[in-house]
Amino acid sequence: MRSVAAYLSVPESRVYSVATFYKALSLVPLGTYVIKICDGTACHIRGSPEVLKAFEKELAIANGETTEDGMFTLQTVNCLGACALAPVVTINDRVFGKVKVKDVPGIIQEVLEDETE
Amino acid sequence: MKLNSPEALEEYRTSLPPRGGGAPVRIRVCAGTGCLAGGSQAVYDAFVVEAERHGLKDGVDFAAGTTGCHGFCENGPIVQIDPENIFYQHVTPDDVPEIFAKTIVGGEPVQRLLYRDAATKQRCRSEEEIPFYAHQQRIVLQRTGHIDPTDINDYIREGGYAGLAKALVMEPKAVVGEVMASGLRGRGGGGFPTGTKWESARIVEAEKKYVVANGDEGDPGAFMNRSLMEGDPHSVIEGMIIGAWAVGATSGHIYVREEYPLAVSNLRRAIEEAQRLGLLGTDILGSGFSFDVEITRGGGAFVCGESTALMASIEGMPGVPRVKYIRSTEKGLWDAPAVLNNVETWADIPRIILNGANWYAGIGTENNSGTKVFSLVGKVKNSGLVEVPLGTPLRTIIFDIGGGVMNNRAFKAVQSGGPSGGCLPESKLDTQVDFDHLKEAGAMMGSGGLIVMDDHTCMVNVAQYFIDFLVGECCGKCTPCREGLHAMQVLLHGLTSGKARAGDVALLKEIAEYVRDTALCGLGQTAANPVLSTMEFFPEEYEEHEKEGFCRAGVCSGLYAVAIDPATCTGCGMCARVCPADAITGEKKQVHLIDPDACITCGSCVDACRFNAILIERRENDD
Amino acid sequence: MTDTNETNGMITITIDGRKVTVERGTKILAAAKELGIHIPTLCHHDALPPDGNCRLCQVEVEERGKRKLAVACMYPVRGPMEVFTDTDRVMDARRSVIRLHLNRCPQATVLQDLAREYGVEPLDERFVAEHDDLCIRCGRCVRACAALGNNCLGFAGRGWDRTIIPPFDEPPVGCLGCAACAEICPTGAIKVREEDGIRRIWGRDFRLVRCPSCGEYYATEEQLEKADTGGAEVSDLCPRCRKRDEAKRIQIS
Repeated sequence: MRSVAAYLSVPESRVYSVATFYKALSLVPLGTYVIKICDGTACHIRGSPEVLKAFEKELAIANGETTEDGMFTLQTVNCLGACALAPVVTINDRVFGKVKVKDVPGIIQEVLEDETE
Repeated sequence: MKLNSPEALEEYRTSLPPRGGGAPVRIRVCAGTGCLAGGSQAVYDAFVVEAERHGLKDGVDFAAGTTGCHGFCENGPIVQIDPENIFYQHVTPDDVPEIFAKTIVGGEPVQRLLYRDAATKQRCRSEEEIPFYAHQQRIVLQRTGHIDPTDINDYIREGGYAGLAKALVMEPKAVVGEVMASGLRGRGGGGFPTGTKWESARIVEAEKKYVVANGDEGDPGAFMNRSLMEGDPHSVIEGMIIGAWAVGATSGHIYVREEYPLAVSNLRRAIEEAQRLGLLGTDILGSGFSFDVEITRGGGAFVCGESTALMASIEGMPGVPRVKYIRSTEKGLWDAPAVLNNVETWADIPRIILNGANWYAGIGTENNSGTKVFSLVGKVKNSGLVEVPLGTPLRTIIFDIGGGVMNNRAFKAVQSGGPSGGCLPESKLDTQVDFDHLKEAGAMMGSGGLIVMDDHTCMVNVAQYFIDFLVGECCGKCTPCREGLHAMQVLLHGLTSGKARAGDVALLKEIAEYVRDTALCGLGQTAANPVLSTMEFFPEEYEEHEKEGFCRAGVCSGLYAVAIDPATCTGCGMCARVCPADAITGEKKQVHLIDPDACITCGSCVDACRFNAILIERRENDD
Repeated sequence: MTDTNETNGMITITIDGRKVTVERGTKILAAAKELGIHIPTLCHHDALPPDGNCRLCQVEVEERGKRKLAVACMYPVRGPMEVFTDTDRVMDARRSVIRLHLNRCPQATVLQDLAREYGVEPLDERFVAEHDDLCIRCGRCVRACAALGNNCLGFAGRGWDRTIIPPFDEPPVGCLGCAACAEICPTGAIKVREEDGIRRIWGRDFRLVRCPSCGEYYATEEQLEKADTGGAEVSDLCPRCRKRDEAKRIQIS
């Protein structure tokens, strides 16, 4: 952030303000895989809170945290705009639609398998 | 190669080969975000492979292309086959050989992939026959789902940039006049007359002016703008060039929220293509007018959908709104006049100029002309994007187009307008959907999100959901919003957890009203709407939560008990299967039983039961 | 478009039934001051650009037949208008704002005084987060540091968690120790300690310089260094002695 401030000739306080304002910017390193659970209205009423709980249970971390091995970060995000597929979960670039609680272990397994390939 | 005149554009248009090279069969595979998530890329690839296997030449015997979002995402991946516009849904790569053999070669549809009308039980062969589409009037979305959004030629072939050519030989004042006469009102939700906004910018004398497109679409449940930006990016660009000409702007910005990467890349590509043809840049179509446009990506902040926050964000600051006693059309972006409109508003412009104001004004109702795209989602059978003339009754949208409530449950409410809007109950289903009637009814059009809720929805929980959302998105600048929303959040969580105190509902109402009256920007000013509208139409639920700690909808954990109705239970066992606490027992075809001590009130059984046999009751007093 | 009561860029408006003529663009707060009408403020300071975030200075403004609440510190006079500073609606709005401020900083004296004046009862303990938080997020310190210092303070985070801290929440490298931020803070949320010629603020220590004339500490070394740039001759006397010096010089000449 200091380099950005110097390069753009703006005060560091401004860079820090911007960096801490926007959710898309993170001040801590994220996991290899960032799991984003959509908590938009459609996803919410179609069960995204339960899906979140399932991920929390499966990965033994809370919303916003990263697993100790640095593999997974769990986040909830605002509506991704794929409402007809609610509940929606994205893991890096992959989008999973109509996610049910019982799908969760399988999804994590799939991601880990692709990783080892 | 730059097109130097309107004639050059027309020549170019007529010189283009027909779509798909004139092939007799053309396949469109939806590549919008929703269908891509469903695996449509693999479906497209399968078509290419299959065509090779059949020895068909691409562009001669057959053509396969990808399009933007068709707006019927739940039924994706969607494949449509021209010239008959055969509509296939839920297509997988494994279906492709059969589609090829039966439909493309044999000319017969594959029945099981056709949409089945729930009412008539008939299969619909083409898009025109599907009630979801048949009741719509697709003007803004006319091209999405039909053209390849990454190919400007497709856009031009369909008449693209003809509106621009016409506008550039009109006086700017006349262009504004046409927009005014059309009655177009801001499609982002504000409903401010677009022509009036443009005129106030046009008359300002300034060295530099801007046009800005709001593609931040932060309302949860709304994806109209996503589809448009992904599926027909040129319509937005064309609208902005026309607007810039009309008001005297030389630069434009399209602000796209960070969560829409496909929209950003399709827009970016569209801008490059337009620049290459000279439709953006200097001396556009030989008119002497120069204009160019940039994309700014959002950073994950709903508040950046507010116009002053959006402009602050473009300027490189945190997206914090500014007090707006001086209009943005006078001092907006970098203190210069800026016309900010929603992307859907911009997309309406080319056709208004081309077809004339009277054409547009003839659609819709008085003071509410034209069509609007809505996203109909939630507990509705057919969920997706719906474009209808303003003034269409809610009932038509939800039941005729949407097919009614999922699982045949009872309709409870529809939330219109996202976190700034309100919930309307069954008694308001005949409300005409337009800016004025919705406001009168106690809701708000907002950006067009319509979220259908059934009887298994707790309205206090809904209010809590929206306030939780707004607390997370509040910028924190002004005291009423920052502190007031937090206080409302504390109260709502108390109500939904059975820990409310006497008078909390009244206090919640009071704080909500004060936040509405004293907040700095639209976010805070409209934050009260979800709370106040649910309070108005569902006061019993609030009272029951406060006084009895009872949730009649069976949603708020611990605030109800479930019991199986022996009269309606068929013993199918679905509930027992989904119960995570093993609290339900019963033999097949025998009435099942719930153990109240084991039950964790998660609601899974209520969702699973197809016979509405699970009753929500007050808990037995456990003092 | 000419206003019926605008001449030479001066416009006459009415506040609480009394007329006042001001330059176009003047804010209602300043116009009211001319009439001796007091409107309470928190985030406003005459020496700094206005921000409109505390929402305390609400007034009712009637223009072109429409009446609405607005913040007086930022609402510009641009045509005929009627302003009301003490209607029920205004008082209710002020009370609600004071109550919400009090919620965040129950121990701030300036808020307790306002609460007493307006008869505001605080919300119950469920709503108060930290009892000793004194920052009302008015941002006067941020604006002061931008105007007088080295831009060492800024808002971080957003919403309920929004705070005012130096970059990276570390002792600010560019801080001059001028303590303008502490002086301008309405609640005393910024702590300054001076002991044995050292001023301690924002986790940094600054050596204070004595005035050669009266011997009092009056500035930090860093402040004087910054004042030195520009090439102009800067006296090393403290402001009070400097003024006395100037006065003597004028007397003699």
